[in-house]
Amino acid sequence: MDYEKLLNMAAELGYQLMYSGAEIYRVEESARRLLHAYGLESPEVFAIPNCLIVSVATPAGQPVTRMRRVPLHGTDIELLERCNGLCRRLCAEVPPLDEAQALVDALPEAIPRYSPRMMLLGYGAAPAFFAPLFGGGLRDLACAFLCGLAVGLCLLYGGKFIGANSFFRTAVCSALAAFLSLALVEAGLGESVDVVTISTLMVLVPGVALTNAMREIMAGDTFSALSRTADAILVASAIALGAAAGQALGGLF
Amino acid sequence: METVFWEYALPCFCAFWACVGFTLMFNIHGLGKLIAGVGGALGWLVYLLGGQTIFAAFLAAAAIGVFAEVMSRVRRCPVTGYVLVALLPLVPGGGIYYAMRHGVAGETDAFLSTLLHTFGMAAALAVGAMLASSAFRAVFPRLRPPKQ
Repeated sequence: MDYEKLLNMAAELGYQLMYSGAEIYRVEESARRLLHAYGLESPEVFAIPNCLIVSVATPAGQPVTRMRRVPLHGTDIELLERCNGLCRRLCAEVPPLDEAQALVDALPEAIPRYSPRMMLLGYGAAPAFFAPLFGGGLRDLACAFLCGLAVGLCLLYGGKFIGANSFFRTAVCSALAAFLSLALVEAGLGESVDVVTISTLMVLVPGVALTNAMREIMAGDTFSALSRTADAILVASAIALGAAAGQALGGLF
Repeated sequence: METVFWEYALPCFCAFWACVGFTLMFNIHGLGKLIAGVGGALGWLVYLLGGQTIFAAFLAAAAIGVFAEVMSRVRRCPVTGYVLVALLPLVPGGGIYYAMRHGVAGETDAFLSTLLHTFGMAAALAVGAMLASSAFRAVFPRLRPPKQ
């Protein structure tokens, strides 16, 4: 068997899993099981939130290692579910390596994605429906929808201008949300600045990082849990910082 | 009857649609959207029934954890997406905002108490969901699908 090919295939699947926002234990376990299914006795897989290392020793005693650096990524549940399904299938069927590699390579292209317009609708709808939860009325709902759309536009199309740094991106979006809420309420459309701002900030809130951190703790990956907790706290401070800046800016007018 | 509608049914309806909005951002398709939305509504209902305290958030997170575990068994899918989206309405965005307001205004006492309350909420959510799914896995190990 060509162990280099096998290693590449397992590393690619692990990479796709990481990229979809899977938990560390799921990535490690999936790659390990896959290598095990192909007949390797003790494959070693090590992952932290932005790095994946897969190492195997061939039956002849030759060690082979592959490392993948995982760039900044979002959460893509459809990709996660498909990777998981494919991994189960590969472990059960153990197809020839070339076939397996083709299946893994075909994964990212086959994923259905929402059009930018639909995603924008999501960014508008989520804050709009949060407004009543925080005690807002219909007018606050409309304001939150507009602010959510602005934040969505900024996140989807503003990458070129504000860069990929998540701290700065969150701060800019939060400032935009706070400023726009203040402006809309001043213009007479909204009723409560607090309600509209909080509803809009809910799309930026580090819920994903928090949930992931909790799941890493549960699985015993303390190192990844700490780094994700730090991420959550940083994003929360970025939100607070941005909102403060936005309101200060709005107060000038 | 009317209070039930305004106090409970309407907020849960809103939580449902807010969660469905989030599923568009996380690229969740098909039945998963419905499950995530129902999870969010369920969590918010428990939170309201519990009196909107930190302990209520803990119970709500536990309810979401169990619900998501059951649903992932039914659909034989990773549990990640459902917990992730359903917990979002409970994440203390308001706490972050009010803590910032108090901090900027220089009200140190109010700032610290809001900040601690926010951390408490976050911790309650994390521990609630974690305990619920660990307990669920311990109680029903045989329901566990063949992993990966």
